[in-house]
Formats: sequence, structure tokens, C-alpha cells
Amino acid sequence: MSIIYVLIPIAILFVCIGLGIFFWAVRSRQFDDLNKEGMSILFDEKKQNSSQTDKDQQPPQ
Amino acid sequence: MSYSGCFHCNEVIPKGSDFTLSIEQQQRQFCCPGCLAVAETIIDQGLGDYYKFRTSPANKAQLVPEQLQLVSYDSAEVLADLTQNKNDQTHIELSISGISCAACAWLIEKQLKKNSAIHSVSVNSSTARCIVSWDLKQLKLSDILTNISQLGYQAAPFMADQEEAVQQAELRRFLKRLAVSGIMSMQVMMLAFGLYFGEYTGIEPQFEGYLRWISLLLTTPVVFYSAKPFTLSAWRAIKGRELNMDVPVTLAVFYTFIASAYATLFGIGEVYFESVCMFVFLLQLGKFFEFRARAQARAATGNLLKIMPVSARLVQGNELIPTSARRLEAGQVILVQAGETIAADGVVLSGESSVDESMLTGEYKAVSKASGDFVMAGSINHDGVLKVTVHQALASSRLGQIIHLQQQTLNQKPQIVEKTTQLARFFIQRLLVIAFGTFLVWYFWLDQERAFWVTLSVLVATCPCALTLATPTAITCALARLNRKGILIKNQQVLEILPQLTSVFLDKTGSLTQGRFSILRSELHDTLYDEARLLALIARIETYSEHPIARAFSSYLSTEIKVEQVQVHVGSGLSALWRQDDGSCLDIKVGSAAFCAVQDQTAAAVCCTINTQLVLSVELSDALRPEVPALISALKQRGLTLSMLTGDSSAQVEEVQHQLQFDQVFKGCSPEQKVEHIQQAVTQGDKVLMLGDGINDSPCFHAAHVSVALDSGTDLSKNQADVVLLHNDLNLVQELIEGAVLAQRIVKQNLWWAVGYNLVIIPLAVAGFVSPYIAVIGMSFSSILVVSNSLRLLKA
Repeated sequence: MSIIYVLIPIAILFVCIGLGIFFWAVRSRQFDDLNKEGMSILFDEKKQNSSQTDKDQQPPQ
Repeated sequence: MSYSGCFHCNEVIPKGSDFTLSIEQQQRQFCCPGCLAVAETIIDQGLGDYYKFRTSPANKAQLVPEQLQLVSYDSAEVLADLTQNKNDQTHIELSISGISCAACAWLIEKQLKKNSAIHSVSVNSSTARCIVSWDLKQLKLSDILTNISQLGYQAAPFMADQEEAVQQAELRRFLKRLAVSGIMSMQVMMLAFGLYFGEYTGIEPQFEGYLRWISLLLTTPVVFYSAKPFTLSAWRAIKGRELNMDVPVTLAVFYTFIASAYATLFGIGEVYFESVCMFVFLLQLGKFFEFRARAQARAATGNLLKIMPVSARLVQGNELIPTSARRLEAGQVILVQAGETIAADGVVLSGESSVDESMLTGEYKAVSKASGDFVMAGSINHDGVLKVTVHQALASSRLGQIIHLQQQTLNQKPQIVEKTTQLARFFIQRLLVIAFGTFLVWYFWLDQERAFWVTLSVLVATCPCALTLATPTAITCALARLNRKGILIKNQQVLEILPQLTSVFLDKTGSLTQGRFSILRSELHDTLYDEARLLALIARIETYSEHPIARAFSSYLSTEIKVEQVQVHVGSGLSALWRQDDGSCLDIKVGSAAFCAVQDQTAAAVCCTINTQLVLSVELSDALRPEVPALISALKQRGLTLSMLTGDSSAQVEEVQHQLQFDQVFKGCSPEQKVEHIQQAVTQGDKVLMLGDGINDSPCFHAAHVSVALDSGTDLSKNQADVVLLHNDLNLVQELIEGAVLAQRIVKQNLWWAVGYNLVIIPLAVAGFVSPYIAVIGMSFSSILVVSNSLRLLKA
């Protein structure tokens, strides 16, 4: 059972890292608009398939 | 997926129109050239994914008025007012109307990012805001705005007020605290399970001590970081010699934490770290949802600056100089084109036009203006070009004054003392006295050793968790329930006041009525023609007019009819040629009786002649919303006093009164008089609800206990109201009142349970029959019961 003296501190370390990442995400405004970020995965996936057509049709600016 | 309506906006496609586009080998139908143009842009740019992933149809697209007001945003003065410069990048915040789902945000971001001059774009779909930073030397602001409007959205520069920035920061802090308390709760709960099992199967003392120390370590940030808002609020209350609901919360958190820490330190007694964490987490969660709902409501309706005119065109000699509206001074002359907002109060120097002042007066009929007439800032010029001599700066204009009046009334909001706060005060005082008395009695007379633990079990068993959770959980659930039905509540006190409501004030134009012309009846004078076809003809011709009357015909629009040489005659009507199938042309005139040169049709607003022969006369009126009569009788059944407040003094007021039978009618009121009428009712002891939509109603919103604005109302009124109805359906008022009554019933049940439980457990705890362990179970159970009772509100 003495293994918990090592394992629990390691678990706490992971929790701290997780919290750190969450704080960073909040600070970089990733949680300002939950709807959009939730949908973004759909669009990103699609982009790779149609990236060729995207390049062909640059907007005339 | 098959659409019965327009592929872009899902609206009905007018008969005979032919706007189609081939998208991925499928012919798609569109309702109007605007939607077609937008869809073409989207598909051409390779952004067709938008149509696949969007969750709601787009708004009907307007054809972009060519560079109408946009160019004036490019003047250096306007830019200086609206943007910030940081290392060669110009930053601006835009408010975008027409965003309906996350796909819209993606669409706009994608489109703008294709331009190399634009450095970064971030669109927030829930607040409908967009932050752009770009290189001003390479790209003009008007080009960005045009770019967005090509996608079917209207973008306008916007400046967030101070308050909103503070709220954003607060929301982020909330998230962090929530994460800390949530994640720590999980860890501590896990360790607590080890300790629970240890109780039954035996655990070596050194492991028990170790688990307790780790729990103490993990709970510390929850108590000192996550619970900080409660601690601070409680501290402020105590400093002000008061007791609010946060005092017992803080007390509960700290004494359970300290007792557990004491037990850990000396290895005696019980620890309650998991209870502390869960309690803080649950309370935080409720507060967070409530705060987020409010912040969202505020942000979505907070686009205040949009109604203040931003730019103007200054006439200097023969030149037109775009300038910032805020910098206009008395004596300057500005040019206002058709469709533009008048930038300052002034007098018309030359030109004639009809002007829509509904934003300010609530009067939907356009007022015709000619040389020498007074015009107000914020009103919209419909059809002609006006030159206006500025009388006073924007801040002292009528619009500026109304906004000022509003800020004055802000502090006059009638206050209601929160009942739960009173109850908490009552309860917590007695609880502290009892706990202190218990300690003294046990210490001096009964058992010195057990005194501390008995006192602790009294405090834990009577922990005001259930009591403190009773109201917030019920309110949060009620807010969510109403939100789902399309009712946004920005001020949660509303729920406490609504069940006691005694009086309702309703605005007429735009609230009870639709606020726009609709066809009351039409009379055919020549049986040679078909009535429906003539209406379609008028509708077709009226598409060339900006006048509000034109919109009354839009539902009859059919593009089969071919018209040519349409001419707009300002303030009187339109003339055109109607191309027949055989190629011949008929001379058409649509407009006032005088314009059509026919005998006066007293009631008719619009006449139509073919080759100078009167064929059709149409009566227009501002029709009541269809749901109004039912709503009024339902409100009467609740025993409420109903009053109609209106700026209108026409005969229509009597007509509406005859139909709906209000208890009181006040007509021809200025915004100040409206406030007076409501304040009078408030001083008589009535609990008042005000329903309105216009800028002229917004000062009343602060005078009434509860204010309700419609989504079709102006941004300013939505910004100020306590409640915003997201669908234009007045029946939601009924839903609102019912929801509040239901919420109050649940709060009462919760409070009864919490108080009842405490009354039973206190004597037992004082007598020493309740071990701290049982106290925790009792406390948790009563909290869970209260929470699940509140959750019932989410059903139905």
C-alpha cells in the first residue's frame, strides 16, 4: 500500500497541469463563445478535403 | 435535405419568381435577388460548408445599398472615434446583425481571413460581435463592411461600454473558480471513498492520516480561492452590520473546514472535506449559470451605439466631407440621402422627403418634411435628399436627452427587499445563539470533553446548505425554463415581484399593434381586373420605394408582372408602365388620391389608376397583433389593472380601446408623462409591469417594477428592460407570469423543507444524540432534496 505515497502526489501533479491548461484556455478567450468552438471541429475536418477548391477560388480583392 | 422555402433564408418563395442557382449539382430556389446574390458569393468563395452545418436558416438578405453610408466610415475623424491603433494594426469592434448560429461566425471569419490585409478576425456568435484587426493602409473600413454585407449580414462599428468589459473579465474568473472547485471536488471525493471504506474494513492509522492531509491540501484552494466571492460578500455585509445569505454560507464553509483541519492536525474526530468542496461547487455552479444568462442577455441587447448616428456628410461649398456625427456643431449644414439616419437635430434647408421618427415618438407613420421643418437626430430619411442646418450637437439632441432621461431614472428603480435575505437574517441569528448556548451548557454542566463535538454537530446538522440552496437553485431552473421558451430575464428580482403584480401598462404602437402598415381592406372599382393581380402589381411597383407604406404590400409580391420606367414622386406616390403579355404598355399610378387625380377616397391611403382610371383603393391601418385580445382577457382574469400608454393621439386609440376595454387609457403622452403615470401607480402601492418597444418607452422601464421589451423593439429599449421576449409573441407575457408563480411555489416548498428539517434536527443535536457523521448525511440529504425539487421546474 505504500505505493500511494508516490501515486497520489503524481495524480495531484496531473490535476495541477490540467488546471493550468484550463486557465490558459480561459485566458486565451477560448471559452468566450462556446457555440462556435463546439462547431469548429466540423469545419476544420471538411477544410482538408476541399482545400484544393479553396485555393482555386481566391476572392478577387 | 429539401427546403420548401428559399434555400438561403427559408422564407416563402413568391409565386412566379425565378431565382435559382446550381449548388453541388442541385438546383436551389431563392426568394429574392438579395438571397441569391449572397448564396452566390458564399458558393463562389468555396464556403458552401456553411449550408451543411448551419443549425438555423439565415435572415433574409437585403441587396446592399451601394456604398450607402459605409464610405463615410472611412473619414479619419470617424475612424479615430471608433478604432484603436496598436503596432501598425487597427482594431475595431463590430456589431453584426443576422448571426443566427455558429456557422455564421465561421462564414464571416473565413471570408475576412482570405484578405491578406486583415490580420485577425474573431467572431463571437452568442454576442454577435466581431473583433477585426487589419492594416489600414491596405484596406478601408468600408471594404470590410461591404465584404460582410455581401454574405448577408449587416455590420456596424460598435464600442463596448466599460461595464461590459468588466463583465467579460468577471465571467472568466467565474470559469476558473468553477474549474478549481469542480476538479478538486472530484479528487477529494475519491480520497473520501478510501476513508469511507477504511471506516468499515479497517485502515492503518498512517494511511488514514495521509489521506486526510492530502484532502486538506486539495480543499485549501477551494476554500480560499473558489469561495472567495462568498467570503467577500459576507465580509462586506458584516462590516455594514447586516446579515445576508452569504454569511451563513461562509460560516458553514469555514467552520466545517476548520473543524476538519483540526481533526486532521490532532488525529481525532471526523473530517468533512468532501462536503466543503461539493457545497462550494454547487453554489458556484448556480451563480455561474445565472451570471452567464445575464451577461448574454446584456451583450446581445447592448448594442446601444448602433442607434446613435455615427457619421454625417458635411456640406462645405460644393464639396461633401464625411465627418463624425459627434463632432457636428450648430450652424453647419449636412446632406442626408435617402435611407440614411439624420445625424443631428436641425432645420431642413432644402429638399423634401418623408422621415420616419418612430424610434423617438413611437409614431409609425412617416412625417413629410420640407424646407423650414424641424428634423430630429436618429430619425430615418425615407425617399428624398435633404440638406439640414444643424441646430445643436448630438449630445443635446432629443435622442441624447431621452438617453439622459433614462440614466436619471436608473436609480429610481423601486426596491424590493429579498425575502430569503430576511429569512436568513432571522435564522442565522438564532442559530448562532443556539450553538453558542449548547457549547456553554455542555462545557460547564454536562461533559467538557464532548462540548466541542456536540457544538460542531449542531452547526453541521443545521448547516444552512439547504436553506441557502433553496432560492438560487429554483431561480436558476426557472430562468432556464423561461429562456428555453424565448424569454430572457436580465434582472432575477423580476421572478420575486411578478407573483404580486397588480397593474400592467402597455404601449400601443409596436407593442399591442404591429407597428407597421398592413392592408385593412381594398375596394375594386373596375371589374375588368382581378383584385389579387392588382395588389401584386402595386407590390411590384412599391419595391422601388423606401416608404413604410411600401412594406404593407410585400406579401403580395409576384415577379411575373413586368413594370418599366418606375418613377418615385417624393411624398405622393409612384408612376410606372405595366408591360402586358402582348407587348403593349399601361400607364400606372400608385399613391395618394391627390397624386392619382381621382376623387377623394376618404378612408383610402393608397389609390391605383390605370390610364387615369381608378381601379383599386386600399385602406391601410396598423393592425393589432393577432394574439392581443386573448392576452388581454387572460390578464384581466388574473385581476390585473390594465392601462394603455401611448404617444399617439389619433382616433386609432379609441378604436383599440373599444376593442380591448382597458381600465385606463393615457394618450398623447410624452416620454416624461409616461414616466409620471407609472410613478403615480407605484406610489399608490401597485406592483407595475410595463411592456413597450420604443426608445420613448425606455425611461418608463426604470420607473416600473418589471419592464418587458419585445425583440422587434429598438436596441435601446431591449438594453434597458428587465425582460426581453425573444419571439414577437405577446403570449409569452402569460408564460412569464406563470413561470414566476411556479418558481415562487417551488421556493416556498424548498424553504419549508429546509426550515422544517432544521427544527427537527436542532433539538436532537443539542441533546447530543446526533453524531457528526449522521449530521453530514442529514445535511446532504436535505440539500439533494431541495436541488431535485428545483429541477422539477425544468420539466414541461
